[in-house]
Amino acid sequence: MSIREGLLKLVGSEKFTDDPKVLKEYSTDFSLAPSGVPNYVVKPKKTEDVQRVIKFANEHSIPVIPVSSSAHFYGTTIPKQGGIVLDLTGMNKIFEIDELNRRVRIEAGVTWEQLTSELGKKGFRMIMPLLPHPLRSVVTDYLEREMPTNTVYDYGEPLQGMEVVWPTGEIFRTGSASVTGYPDSPSKGGMPSGPGLDFYRLLQGAQGTMGVVTWANLKIECLPKIDKILFAPVRELDYAIEFLYRVLRIRIGQECLLLNNTNLATVIADDWSTDFEKLRASLPPWTLILVISGMQRDPEGKIQYEEQALDKILRNEFPEIHLANNLPGFPSLGKKLLPMLRKPWPKKVTYWKKRYKGGCQSLFFITKPTSASKFITKIEEIAAKHGYPISDIGGYLQPIEHNRACHLEFNFFYDPASHSEAERVRSLYDEAAKILLSEGALFTRPYGEELTKLVYERAADYTMTLRRVKKIFDPNNIMNPGNLCF
Amino acid sequence: MAISKEAYKVLESIVGAEYISADPAICEGYRAGPGGYECGLGYERVMTRVPGCVAMPRTTEEVQKIVKACNRYKIPYVPYSTGFYGPRSHPHVSDALLIDLKRMDDFEIDDKHLYAVVGSGVIYSQLQEEAMKRGLYIVIGGGGSQVSAIANMIGDGWSPLSYRVGLPHRRILGTELILPDGELVRLGSLAFQDDSFWSEGPGPDLRGLLRGFTGHRGFLGIVTKMAIKLLPFQPERLVPSGISPHTSLQLPVNRVRWINFTMPSKDAMRQTMVEMAKAEIGAGVTKVPIFWRVIARAKSKEEFWELWSKETEETIKNFHVLRVLLIGFTSEEQLEYEERVLMDIITPLGGEARRTRPTDESWFKNADSAGMWLMCGGYVSVDYVIETLEHSIPHGENYAKLKRNFTPPLMPDYGDPGWFQSFELGHQGYSEFLVYWDPDENTDGVDQFYLETSKENIRKRFYTSLLGSHQPLYLTGPAYGPNYHKWLLKIKDEFDPQFICHPPVPLNHDVFVERAKWLHPQKDWESPELPKLS
Repeated sequence: MSIREGLLKLVGSEKFTDDPKVLKEYSTDFSLAPSGVPNYVVKPKKTEDVQRVIKFANEHSIPVIPVSSSAHFYGTTIPKQGGIVLDLTGMNKIFEIDELNRRVRIEAGVTWEQLTSELGKKGFRMIMPLLPHPLRSVVTDYLEREMPTNTVYDYGEPLQGMEVVWPTGEIFRTGSASVTGYPDSPSKGGMPSGPGLDFYRLLQGAQGTMGVVTWANLKIECLPKIDKILFAPVRELDYAIEFLYRVLRIRIGQECLLLNNTNLATVIADDWSTDFEKLRASLPPWTLILVISGMQRDPEGKIQYEEQALDKILRNEFPEIHLANNLPGFPSLGKKLLPMLRKPWPKKVTYWKKRYKGGCQSLFFITKPTSASKFITKIEEIAAKHGYPISDIGGYLQPIEHNRACHLEFNFFYDPASHSEAERVRSLYDEAAKILLSEGALFTRPYGEELTKLVYERAADYTMTLRRVKKIFDPNNIMNPGNLCF
Repeated sequence: MAISKEAYKVLESIVGAEYISADPAICEGYRAGPGGYECGLGYERVMTRVPGCVAMPRTTEEVQKIVKACNRYKIPYVPYSTGFYGPRSHPHVSDALLIDLKRMDDFEIDDKHLYAVVGSGVIYSQLQEEAMKRGLYIVIGGGGSQVSAIANMIGDGWSPLSYRVGLPHRRILGTELILPDGELVRLGSLAFQDDSFWSEGPGPDLRGLLRGFTGHRGFLGIVTKMAIKLLPFQPERLVPSGISPHTSLQLPVNRVRWINFTMPSKDAMRQTMVEMAKAEIGAGVTKVPIFWRVIARAKSKEEFWELWSKETEETIKNFHVLRVLLIGFTSEEQLEYEERVLMDIITPLGGEARRTRPTDESWFKNADSAGMWLMCGGYVSVDYVIETLEHSIPHGENYAKLKRNFTPPLMPDYGDPGWFQSFELGHQGYSEFLVYWDPDENTDGVDQFYLETSKENIRKRFYTSLLGSHQPLYLTGPAYGPNYHKWLLKIKDEFDPQFICHPPVPLNHDVFVERAKWLHPQKDWESPELPKLS
């Protein structure tokens, strides 16, 4: 029996296709990664379908590429060696919203659009990355450690107990979801750790190379009763960063981030053709955005003490930070941006990273906030060298964990139809990655062939250990081969 | 000395003659017990051995060389820092090398970026003191402030303060790990550079090997250095007062406030925790078991028993005290706000504030230091589980019922179901169930109860921290995951092919059951052939 016949027999014709037109849809994404076509696409409906396909693939050493979103930005779901795309977008059930324990259990295909809408109806929210694509999988984004804009919760990570199909085809549940008979059990899946080891950690940042997560429990939070969004124009970034060291350390605020003028204009432009350039020209180089919120009880009281503390710090220690309800000259900015921070990007509007030129290559890493300026200067130098306009670079600085670290992101916009623009961004990206890595940038989520290679060469002992672990779970290297160091 | 002269010479050349010994008198000092966690039980009697040799390295390089030498000469070895975790921290085979890490006691703090880089011999007491000088704090786990910070971070590492601060494995940052075969792997930002401020390495997070729910007692290598995340505290100092052993910390009441509440019912306590979490207030909240109060009041073991014998099933059943900690992290006004909200929650639920001394004896600095628990000469947590509040309350109640079948030799506790508390702002609930016994009596029943709790968890589908090396792997393995034991053993085989890093962990409890005849009637699960040990 051929592979094709075997797969068809396993899953049935409704869940299987090898139509070249469909295969082609999986061969590219919004990144500059080279295209690659799968041999087959299977659309499972339940865990057992996933298990059957993986067992079969493992027996025949066929690559399996798990895909759970309909929008991809990093090239990780492009088949590098052909194989079977396991498209989980149809596994999109929200199993339960557990209000008592502030937990939700969802399948891998549940999107930001779907989840935020359902949670909102019950007065809950996720802590969210910045303006995710509405069709991105929530589970994948958290597995891939997308950085939330909310910095105040000391416990951070929302992932709890989950189910995975290992590359051998064995089904496994992590954390407290591992009890026999789950979810028919007193154990709700609210603990990520164990059993025996922290298996869930091995699935994080794995780009689908360690197994297929089919569902996960995630923490949810109550929607605040009152929010106040505050802005400060930032001309001297280091000064603003010092301010954040001060205020985030005393647990003021919920969402907190900095965007440069290009990115903020990209996000808030209503009518692109008339607004973008005007906004970009008039916005300050960077804008600090801070949301303070009143929670379930006495919301005014919470806002009040946070405002009092802020006022005192601003007056006595940071007189040059002008934090206000709106940016000078942008009276309706607060009203517009606040709801955006709690939702994915609207489906009807071109995704913000694609609005400017249609394509966007993002370079991001973790660093200490004190090093942010150094990296920005360096990026500008490299961009200039490649003839990329500095004014076109999107900038995003996300404070993490009371500002003890930050996610620093540069967005290089380009016209994907223009070969020369795409090539320029590609070479800029590769060189910038190399230089920034040598200057101490932590690429904990390496994407792109060149960057990944550099990172794993540098982290040699980590790489060797990762490969040893990977071999235990995936002896035939079938899970998404060609990514990371596998 | 069963370690060959040649191997001894090699080890001596690594650490220097001053820091290695096979002198029986020195090695005897590392015997498990007496006193403390899990002491005097069957596990200690049949599983622990005095080491054949002790080495005290100073650096990561020395540890790596020692481990490589052990692999070359096939010497079983056990990493050891403060040894608090009772017999499970000690050698389980004869002629093992005990690697005592207490000389690795350097640490430094980056207070701007909220982390401390510590060596394996650094204890919490010194770390917390230095953190607090800088307006920061860390959770000191139930092991007490004299335990190794690293061992606790990869072992347990929670306390009531975890309500705000969260689970310990989230606070493990850049880490150096010597794998059982002697390979060095650097995790987090250390994988790239010398600064250890960040937690995740590139791609899959190998911190997954460091611990499970609770630790695996070093069977996957030796952590020689770790950056631990510290959390911002409030600016006022907690001033020590009193004369040892009656010491406490004076709380600055404008910033840190305890309030004990009497509550009408367990359900009211649970509801308070749920509402506090939704309102996002508080820095800690726990049910106070009556046992704690008796310990706190007693000035001697004799007084403890005098007080404890006055309790009854009724007093235990109707004792509902909730302890809430409020901290004004932002300002004094935050503290006032949180107290207002707390009263708004708790008053309609029937809570009444009791006068509470503005001092701390155990949560911030000393934690549950071992001495507090030695009313009987030994104790063990038969479970401490973090799941949800819905899980934690029936879990403790269930254990209390089961325990009746094993009392005595377990200490009479009048049906006390342990205690529960809220973690991670109510996303999780914690329950812990301690048992005490008279070490002068036959303790077989304690071992039997401990094992039976594992079977009860499986029967009732409860989660438990005590998996891996803490209960028989072949009993719990098929029931959790399922088959987590197969993956655990595959990983062990990969990194420790000679099975010399703390043998026979993680199969130690399986071996124990095989050796302890008094447990044989309970053995109704299949096990393959277990490792033969000397």
